[in-house]
Amino acid sequence: MPLDGLGYLKILAPPEKVLRWIEGKLNLLGRLPHYVSIDQKTYGRYGVLPTTSGPSLPGAEASLLLLRRDPRILKAPPYVSLLLILIGLTSLFLLPLDYYSRHTYISENALLPGQVHTYFGGSEQNIFNAYKHEVQAVAGKEQHEISNKLEEIFNSAGLKAARQKYQFEAAGNRYTGENVYSILHAPRGDATEAIVLIAAWTNMDGELNQSGCALVLTLARYFKRWSLWSKDIIILITSDSKAGPQAWADAYHNEHSVPAVEPLPMKSGALQGVVVVDNALNHRFESLHIVYDGINGQLPNLDLFNTATAIASGQMGISVVLQRMWKHGDSYRERLQTMLRGMVSQGLGHASGPHSCFIPYHVDAITLQAVGDGWQDEMAMGRCVESTFRSLNNLLEKFHQSFFFYLLMQANRFVSIGTYLPSAMLVAVNFSIMAIALWIRSGRSTVPTIGSKKKNEEKEPEMEVIRQDGMVAIAPKHRLVIVERELFLPITLVVASHFLGVIPLYIFNHASQSAFSRTFIIFAQANMLLPSFLAALLSYQSPLSTQQRLLLQCFSLLLLGMFLATLATLNFSLAFLIGLLAAPLSFVGQPYSTTSYENPASGGKVRKLLMTIVLQLLSPPAVMLAACKAWDVRVEDVLVEAAFGWTAHGLWTQVVVWCIWWPAWTVGSVVCSPLL
Amino acid sequence: MRSVYILFLSLILIVSFTFADSDYHENLILEPLTPALLLASFNFRSNASQPSFEQQHFQYIPRSLGQILQHANTKELHLRFSTGKWDAESWGARPWRGAKEGGTGVELWAWVEADSDEKAFANWITLNNALSGLFCASLNFIDSTRTTRPVMTFEPAGDHANSSLSTLHLLHGTLPREVVCTENLTPFLKLLPCKGKAGISTLLDGHKLFDASWQTMSIDVRPVCPAHGSECYIEMEQAVDMVLDIERSKRPRDNPIPRPVPHEELACDKSKPYADFDGCYPLDVSSDQSWSLSEVFGRPIRGSCLATDASHRATESVCLNVRHERDVWTSGGAIENKKASGQSRCFTLHETNLFEMNLPQQSTETIIRPEPPVYASRSFTGHGQERGGVQTLLTNPSTTLPIEFMYFETLPWFMKPYLHTLTARLSTVAIPDPSIIKSMYYRPALDRRRGTQLECLISVPPASTVVLTYDFDKAILRYTEYPPDANRGFDVAPAVIRILPPSGAESAATSEADFLRTTSLLLSLPTPDFSMPYNVIILTSTVMALAFGMVFNLLVRRFVGADEVEGYDLSKLRSKIGARIIALKDRLTRRR
Repeated sequence: MPLDGLGYLKILAPPEKVLRWIEGKLNLLGRLPHYVSIDQKTYGRYGVLPTTSGPSLPGAEASLLLLRRDPRILKAPPYVSLLLILIGLTSLFLLPLDYYSRHTYISENALLPGQVHTYFGGSEQNIFNAYKHEVQAVAGKEQHEISNKLEEIFNSAGLKAARQKYQFEAAGNRYTGENVYSILHAPRGDATEAIVLIAAWTNMDGELNQSGCALVLTLARYFKRWSLWSKDIIILITSDSKAGPQAWADAYHNEHSVPAVEPLPMKSGALQGVVVVDNALNHRFESLHIVYDGINGQLPNLDLFNTATAIASGQMGISVVLQRMWKHGDSYRERLQTMLRGMVSQGLGHASGPHSCFIPYHVDAITLQAVGDGWQDEMAMGRCVESTFRSLNNLLEKFHQSFFFYLLMQANRFVSIGTYLPSAMLVAVNFSIMAIALWIRSGRSTVPTIGSKKKNEEKEPEMEVIRQDGMVAIAPKHRLVIVERELFLPITLVVASHFLGVIPLYIFNHASQSAFSRTFIIFAQANMLLPSFLAALLSYQSPLSTQQRLLLQCFSLLLLGMFLATLATLNFSLAFLIGLLAAPLSFVGQPYSTTSYENPASGGKVRKLLMTIVLQLLSPPAVMLAACKAWDVRVEDVLVEAAFGWTAHGLWTQVVVWCIWWPAWTVGSVVCSPLL
Repeated sequence: MRSVYILFLSLILIVSFTFADSDYHENLILEPLTPALLLASFNFRSNASQPSFEQQHFQYIPRSLGQILQHANTKELHLRFSTGKWDAESWGARPWRGAKEGGTGVELWAWVEADSDEKAFANWITLNNALSGLFCASLNFIDSTRTTRPVMTFEPAGDHANSSLSTLHLLHGTLPREVVCTENLTPFLKLLPCKGKAGISTLLDGHKLFDASWQTMSIDVRPVCPAHGSECYIEMEQAVDMVLDIERSKRPRDNPIPRPVPHEELACDKSKPYADFDGCYPLDVSSDQSWSLSEVFGRPIRGSCLATDASHRATESVCLNVRHERDVWTSGGAIENKKASGQSRCFTLHETNLFEMNLPQQSTETIIRPEPPVYASRSFTGHGQERGGVQTLLTNPSTTLPIEFMYFETLPWFMKPYLHTLTARLSTVAIPDPSIIKSMYYRPALDRRRGTQLECLISVPPASTVVLTYDFDKAILRYTEYPPDANRGFDVAPAVIRILPPSGAESAATSEADFLRTTSLLLSLPTPDFSMPYNVIILTSTVMALAFGMVFNLLVRRFVGADEVEGYDLSKLRSKIGARIIALKDRLTRRR
């Protein structure tokens, strides 16, 4: 027998007619002759109670029924929500433990990482040195000079070169450049598959990628001599790390914006993997930094990362670092830190390297970056790339065996989606639970309190006998009062607030860079006053009824919970971070304290003020400011980056912030505003 | 440029006409494409008169193939095995004007004689199955979904009687995924009269052939009726074309790894400022490399084929297309004949001696290859597992003449094109130009029964590029329809382009149409995670096996008390039966 405070679930129930039909077919009511409906509206589907023993209810069932109306149960949701958030957070912090994380392993047998001898070295060093001199000689010169030099080097290696000019405009800035690339046809291939080797002329930090470019050019010449390639190898040198690779990847799939980005004059087949070489150092390096985050928190197949790691650390003896954790002692703290850095990077969803642009096209890509001052030379890096390419060359199918959703906490430890997803889901579910609680609450005319219940014990509650369709039921009278919910205003307000998010989304993606800091400050200030303003506006003519207020918050939380649960399956980190930042929204309003219900205007003023302050501190602009302070970056730069990401990369972190989080925050703040 | 090309062609024609009277003739043309690449075209031609063929009197045409053709009522056969990509931008026009090559994998088309379409298809299936066995290729997988009946693209290459044309059916099938390798070469060589033991076919070694950058093997069988009344004969032509990377071919077989060369052997550009220190800017390979037959092919030519045959005449069977200035040293008593064109010389081989040819390193001007009549490249557009697009770029390099060609494409049924999205435009303008596609034949796909067939007559103005695009949906397959390597993707057969002669040209030229093919495409379809159903199947099977085992055990095993085992008591059994009978009687009486 369902323990029913769950009557509200009826919105999720199938249509009445269908249920009646099924009931008729199965003769359910006939089979249970001693059960009759107590709920006139729903014909007992949501709660049936035995009436065989007359008005006095038999022991167990009676106590269950009483429990259903027990105010203690109605008070539970906030605590359940809080508990879920805490469990979610705790389970995240458990992940770095050995018991929850796993050793990485190569899932695709065909890869065979590190199983081949690498021959890159010897006199290739001299050629590398020459190319490095050439690269240094044209550094800082006009783009066409650089392109000419690159083309000359490609041609001298017997490779045809092609160029692609591109231009992106974002935040009033213009990002232009020219990609130079060449296709090394697989000797026996038919241009059906290709793997890509990339060096960006300047790396993510804006430094000249001198050794990287020279290495890629040397490798192109070296690879040409081998006849074992089963896939075409595309050697691409982009003029920067963000716009260039994006322009090339777009044009390769014919999804570029004409005429700002030129189409590619030469193409090969389906891209199977991308390796980016980033070595801006002019000296020997210590370790390889593998960058793997893609746009919008998408990740490359874990097999690609594992292959690179296995080759670098296992075959070449180069230590591998990730997420800028230059020293990793494999302690809990360091694992956690790596994981959290990975989550922040994934949550922001921005391009973390030239490889990021390929991942949305379902092309697995990583960047190998040389870092530190050690004894590994460029030839070792070259051998690493060679071995990785030999592994990629072995692939018979595209990467699909291993995980696409994972959190890495060390080069050889990860947690997969099954283990980490619950924490984000629990955080998202807390909003749904509160939304459901608010929905029930809004449908109750009165709230039986503990005090009143004691009084009622003396006199029997007024009962009423219902007869319908040959069935008899008896129920307390006040249960039969049906409260009409006024849905129009709350739904309109919630929907409007979500559409309102388009305004900051548009402003911050289309304003020019010079105006960014000013716009942001104005927006942040306006945002502080917005809830009070909206609250005043809403209660200008007639104050909102308690029910409307409850419903307003209910719908807002319902949407937030739904959005975050969906988002968690796509971008776990973003959903989790936003879920945590929005968590206080669950606890504004306090619908269950009898005082605030019976006299909403007077009670809990202090509480409301406190909540307002908390919410103001956790407003999207405030969080952004705090994060910028913490990481020591300028707000303007972040906004420029975001605007560029929006235009070029198709970043939707902004959409999540302005159209999911910010509306929820606005509604929450309005609800707890003292002015309402 | 074109004149050189025509000269080259006329040369081949002269060669073929001169020896048309002989029933077998073979020819090898070696031609450096670039300083680093060598094109080798082998051609073997056998004839049999029509009556002797029909009476199964086979001499040079192999019995195995001849009987298959007769059994399947096939009047004309074209079979192609190809791998690699012809790099038209650097290598120029294709050998034999593309007439003796196929798309990647295996391509087969034939004119089959039959009264009806159904019978023709039945013959076609017979032919495929027989050829599949003969050539160790998966030709038997050319089923109805891979078979098309091209309407405009192919024309019979043989001379068929006008009366029989109405009963001839053209069927065409491709296997883009088929990997061509030595198991296809061996049966191919066995069809030759000398079976790779003598003559130029001794050079056909699987190791070298399948290490080539581009390679194609073809078999054409067609009836030929000379114009001047002499009797018709069946001609079978086998051809092997390959592009060898000279440097790669020269590597010794026991040490094929291209290790970095020692420091002192690096050819450096000394003019660079850093040349004296640690850098070495490598010099281009501009001069012709030295090579010899045994270096490139792994062995010299052993004698001449059918030289001892009384009816056979010694012919110039090896030709080398290099300038006369180029030094060529030969051994083995071959007779050299320098052609008047100044760019070709041919050799008549000695009957039994080993023939070796050696070209030292020398910088001479390479012969400029003729330009292909059209450049074609085809690629997928878009991404995702739901839909996609195909874009074909067709470039006419001629600055003066427009070009017309048939564009023939067969798509698998799970790739569902939308014909209304088929547009052709010039690359310079964004608006589709309806005058580019002159006519079109389209046969839509039927799910799991046949693929899409699209033939377009396209005309490209001089010095311009036409962009042909269309969109398609990807179908979801049943999970048993996926191949074992489902995540690799599905190969889409190359498009075939037949260039039509300029409208002013004589009709005689039609048989010599230029062909070219695009590369095949790899189509990725939505693929389920196969480990899931397999895990479920394995788990369920285990549980089923356990449960079944236990239940079966309980059902079948007879449990007997320990005291009941020894000696079976007959009286007990009797009383038991008696009790049963009484019970039965009782029941019967009660019912009454």
